[in-house]
Order: sequence, then C-alpha cells, then structure tokens
Amino acid sequence: MKPITLELATASKKLCFFFMTAFLLCGGSAFSATRVYQKPSDFVKSALGALPPTQALKLTAAQQNAVSRLLGKRYKTTTIRYWTRNGKTAYILEEIGKVEYITTGISVKGGRIEGMRVLVYRETHGMEVARTAFTKQFNGVSVKSDSQLSRNPRNIAGATLSVRALTKLARLALYLESLR
Amino acid sequence: MSSEPTKRRRVARHWHRWLGLFAAVPLLWLSVTGLLLNHIVDLGLNDKRVSAEWILKRYHQLPEGKPVAFKANERLVAGWDGALYLDGKFLEGFEGELVGAVGVKDKLVIATKESVGVFDGSDAMEIELDELSLPALPLQGVAVAENVLLVKSDSGWSSFSDDFLLFEEWNDSAEAVTFNLLNDEELDDLKSAITSSRSMPLDRVIGDAHSGKLFGWPGWLITDLTALGAIILTILGLRLFPKRKS
Repeated sequence: MKPITLELATASKKLCFFFMTAFLLCGGSAFSATRVYQKPSDFVKSALGALPPTQALKLTAAQQNAVSRLLGKRYKTTTIRYWTRNGKTAYILEEIGKVEYITTGISVKGGRIEGMRVLVYRETHGMEVARTAFTKQFNGVSVKSDSQLSRNPRNIAGATLSVRALTKLARLALYLESLR
Repeated sequence: MSSEPTKRRRVARHWHRWLGLFAAVPLLWLSVTGLLLNHIVDLGLNDKRVSAEWILKRYHQLPEGKPVAFKANERLVAGWDGALYLDGKFLEGFEGELVGAVGVKDKLVIATKESVGVFDGSDAMEIELDELSLPALPLQGVAVAENVLLVKSDSGWSSFSDDFLLFEEWNDSAEAVTFNLLNDEELDDLKSAITSSRSMPLDRVIGDAHSGKLFGWPGWLITDLTALGAIILTILGLRLFPKRKS
C-alpha cells in the first residue's frame, strides 16, 4: 500500500498538469460584451409617443469646434439626426466610454433633459450607468452659461469613464437643442 | 509511532508546502499586476497602448477569415470579420457585415447589413443611418442610379433623397455592386495596414491580465483557484504557527 503523502503529491501533480495544459491550450475569450437595452426606434417611439420623420442638424465648422470642446474630440458624424414631436426632441447619440461606443437616447423639452436611456452598451466594465437609478439623475437637468450641467450625476466607482461619457452626451444634447 | 497532533502538523505542512509551490507563480502574477493597477497613473501607464499581435488577437482586434472588398470613388473599402477599413484604415465607430460601397456624387457610401455610413471627401463620416432611417433590415445590396443612392432589402429597392434622410420605393431595375476579390499583394497590404493601426489601452490589458480574463476561461479558473489557494495557505499557515511542544 502506497503512503498517503505520496498519493496526495501525485494527485496534486496531476491536477497541476491538467490546469497548466488547459491554460496553455485553450483560446477562450470573454471580450464581447454588447448589451442592447432598447432599439433606437423603440426609444424614439416611447419618448415622443410616435416615430416622426427624421430631421438632421448639419454642423458648421464653428459648431463642430464647439462640439469638440464639449466632448474633448470630434463627434463621430458631422450631421446629427433628431426627431421632434409636440415640442419634445429625441436624439440618439454615441460616445466612447473606455474603448467602445455607448449608444444613448436622450429626450429634451424646453431646454431640459426629460429622459435618458442607455440603448447599447459595448464595454466590458461600467454597465451600471445603464441602470435607470443612474440615468434618471439627468432628468430636469439644463445647461449653465459655462456649458456645464446644472447638476452633475454622482460618480460610480469602476464606471468613471462611462459616467463621463454620458455626462458629455447630456451636454451635447442640450447644445444641439440650442442650435435648432 | 507519532502522536495525533504531530501527524496533523505533518499533513498541514505537506499541504502548505505543495499548495505554496503551485500558487507561487499565480500569486506573484496577481501581486505584480495588482500593484501596477493601483499605481497606473503614477507610473504613467494609463495613456499607453499596446499593439502586440497576440494581445490584439485576444481582443478580437485582428480579423479572421477572408475580407470582402469594394472599390468606389477610387477607394478600397474592406469588410473583414465585422470591422470596416477604408484604404486599410480602421473605421472607428462604424462596423458590421459589409454589403457594398458606392460613390454618390462626391460622397462615399458604405453599407452594412444594419447601417449605412456616408463619408465626405476628408474621410469624415457625415451621417450614419440605422434602423430609424432605413427601409428594412438587413440590407442586401447597394447601388447608384441617376446619382441617387439605392439600397436593397426584403421590401425591394429604395431610393434616397440627396440628404439621405428620406427614402421611397424604387420601381426601376437596379443591380447591386459586387465585391472585388483582392490579390495576394493587396491582401498583405491590407493586413499590415490593419495590424499597424490597431492597439489596446495598456491599463485595460493589465486589468484583464489581473482578473485572468485576458487568457479566457482558464485564466478565470486559475485566478479563482489561486484565491482559494491563498485562503487555504493562510489557514494552514496559522495552524502551523504555534511552536511545537518540546
């Protein structure tokens, strides 16, 4: 009969060999994290009650510069679509959180944000910003004379960049509203 | 014959020794990456990027399979593994399965199954059309007739207004543009352009290396086992701590 310590050592070695082999051979990956919370068309319908015709703001060079100052870089398109009905406007805007774009729906009425919803979240971290408890902080927010929001949202530990991205998009939506 | 406490100590020492051996390298890895994460700003690593090929592959930044390419307005538009490239340059923020690319007046229009991007002469994306501004999805083809953009979907061909915001049914015939097969040289040029244009933020790579995610599920498993091992090592170490009675 083998001594018990020898058996344990053999078992440990086998276990170690198995995990090391799995580690070296396996090519698994977990970096695709796209979460679709709502289709953009569904957001526009829910925010405005119907889907009105698409309109667009073609930004001039000066307006593009103003947008760059708000975002810290150029917006991904030079023409931005919007939908308006009964004095309310809906925007579908995108901004990079850390490395991926966050697609966000923002409705604005009378120079104030009426609702915000994260529609598509592609980052692997920081998806807490998609929770209603976070986005509802933007409700009723307007922009001050220095282009800052009248009330900034609370930060979320581990989601700082995503919080910043949504804050920038809120400022962008209010800026676009002032151009219409 | 040894007494019961001595036997227990021997077993505990044995397990402590072997567990310590197996956990040593992963614990060192976790400690070093953890320290780097905690001081990432102090060390100036937060704005550094890495472009090592194996890391780009881990993050699916390098395409697999074969590319589909269209030539329009003397530009090469390639779709490869869901990413889109214009003359080998990655189109950030615009992705999908490439359906076609056409020149409409001075604009370059790139269509994927889910969206259409209109690019001006300076390669800036002028407007992106998604399900809100397209007839139906998925798109099946794209064409130009009489300087008008046409897209094909399940509902047939639709023509777009000059500002691309309105569309209507197109009743005339149309033929979708077909893709060009790239020769080996064009393919190599595209590959090297793609590799040199992609990178990942270093702080994200370190974070994923720390959690084990960088290495897929075996990485997660080893991180979990190492954490469990550290707990067991602590317990065994505490049991071994009291001095042996002489």
